[in-house]
Amino acid sequence: MPPLPVITGLGFITSIGHERSTVLRHLRELQHGFEPVEFFGNSNLPVKVAGTVKGFSFPTPNWRDWTWPDQFSVDRELLRGLAPHGVYALCALQQALAEAGLAPAELGDGTTGLFCASAGSPFLLGNFLTQMHATRGERGNPMGIISSIAGTLNFNLAAHYKITGAVCGFVSACASSSHALGYAMDEIRLGRQQRMLVVGAEDLTAESVVSFSSLRALSHNPDPATASRPFDRRRDGFVGTGGAVALVVEDATLARKRGARIQAELVGWGQAGDGHSVAISHPEGAGLREAMRRTLADAGVNAADVGYVNAHATSTPAGDRSEVLALHSVFTSSGARPRVSSTKALTGHGLSLAGAMEAAFCTLALSEGFIPGAAHLEEPDPVCDGLDLPPTSLEEAPRLALNNSSGFGGSNVCHLLRRPA
Amino acid sequence: MNPAPSSSAPRATALADREESIRHLPAGARAAFERFQAGGGPAELDPVLLAILEDYIPRTSAVPLAELPGSTRLIDDLGFDSLAITEVVFFAEDLFGITISNQEIIQVRTLDDLRGFIRRKVAVPATV
Repeated sequence: MPPLPVITGLGFITSIGHERSTVLRHLRELQHGFEPVEFFGNSNLPVKVAGTVKGFSFPTPNWRDWTWPDQFSVDRELLRGLAPHGVYALCALQQALAEAGLAPAELGDGTTGLFCASAGSPFLLGNFLTQMHATRGERGNPMGIISSIAGTLNFNLAAHYKITGAVCGFVSACASSSHALGYAMDEIRLGRQQRMLVVGAEDLTAESVVSFSSLRALSHNPDPATASRPFDRRRDGFVGTGGAVALVVEDATLARKRGARIQAELVGWGQAGDGHSVAISHPEGAGLREAMRRTLADAGVNAADVGYVNAHATSTPAGDRSEVLALHSVFTSSGARPRVSSTKALTGHGLSLAGAMEAAFCTLALSEGFIPGAAHLEEPDPVCDGLDLPPTSLEEAPRLALNNSSGFGGSNVCHLLRRPA
Repeated sequence: MNPAPSSSAPRATALADREESIRHLPAGARAAFERFQAGGGPAELDPVLLAILEDYIPRTSAVPLAELPGSTRLIDDLGFDSLAITEVVFFAEDLFGITISNQEIIQVRTLDDLRGFIRRKVAVPATV
């Protein structure tokens, strides 16, 4: 039997909370994390709402102006190479390590690896390049590249925690941290690493969110209570968010040996491309359907065994419909009827962060024994007929939870998590 | 490949830019810089330079830099790395209107080296 990857630590910097208990309460009570925002100080912009990351402030590109909640410590030495989402990531990883009962000194012996995912920092990269243009290439912040390009998370965190195992960053847009988690599972199953730290994070800045306005992917609904409503007939786009989520993934044998609490087992994952469009999901969700099937096959379970699906559904008209059709194909058509919800109704869409965040939510559901409801769903799209979309969270413990993610280019990734026996 | 342009990029010498760039420094250092700009001697730059070093030092020093001996080494004693020194050099170039080459900066090892080096540099301002 190959080693079984299990989750022993979670850390959250999200629009719905910066610690486990707060996140849990928001998921159980379906309290969203949205606030009105005015990007670029421009009241003409039609995007009015975001999943804000409370207590953190990054008003300028200069790290001396940045602030974060008092309970977190960020070393000055590290700060100069970090993007805003690097600060989030550090705070999330500190929590995850504490929850897993690990000291930083235990991470450097080569048995622990680090996989990260973010899109980099458009905010800092834009600033860096503007300075470079202004000086015709003669000036630049020496940390400009390190703090801004995709990979900034793994550069910084690997050096800070002295990681000598596998270190890599993943870039597949909104499937990025799902890829990071999937490949982290493989590192453990192949016996290459005993422990993997998985971190997904994104800035929450005008540059990172409003860029999606050009794609017409964002909601124009100004009401924080309804702007993100996956599967609802009136959905009109996603609501952006940022933050970071960290997961400690370990070989189950090691976790048991050191007495760590196993919160969830990672029993399968799979991925498949749509082979269709650079930006729009396959109209029938072909790639996501195949990714779900491959995940179930990897775990050796039937569709009927799945108790909860944390859908990717971002609240866009086309994307949600594609996913619903894929869900029908995998579940409804075989008579399976798992509970389905998209927690993006509460958090917003965290882009590269989404997959890790929602895998962590599935872990909470399994370990705490509940199922997050389908928030803000008042008028289900008729295409959803046959899906079980609970209007409130349910105090029932699923045994298996499926986490779906899809990214640009039709990249689809799923994980299957199991409640520990 | 095009030849590299000569050193003709605009320098950040406007007063507003300078004020903006030193707003993070302690009030004493900002006042010293104002005195230097008003014609004070190069000794006025010492507190400014120490404040810049304290601003970029990777690990906060237990003792204020002003109280350390001039022989304190930037890398071995204070924990500077080459990137942090580059940041100090860029900041000093823009603030003082000087140009520092890589060859020059690698000769600078201690606090006294740096103080002396900057004093000599500002005595012969670069063409702006």
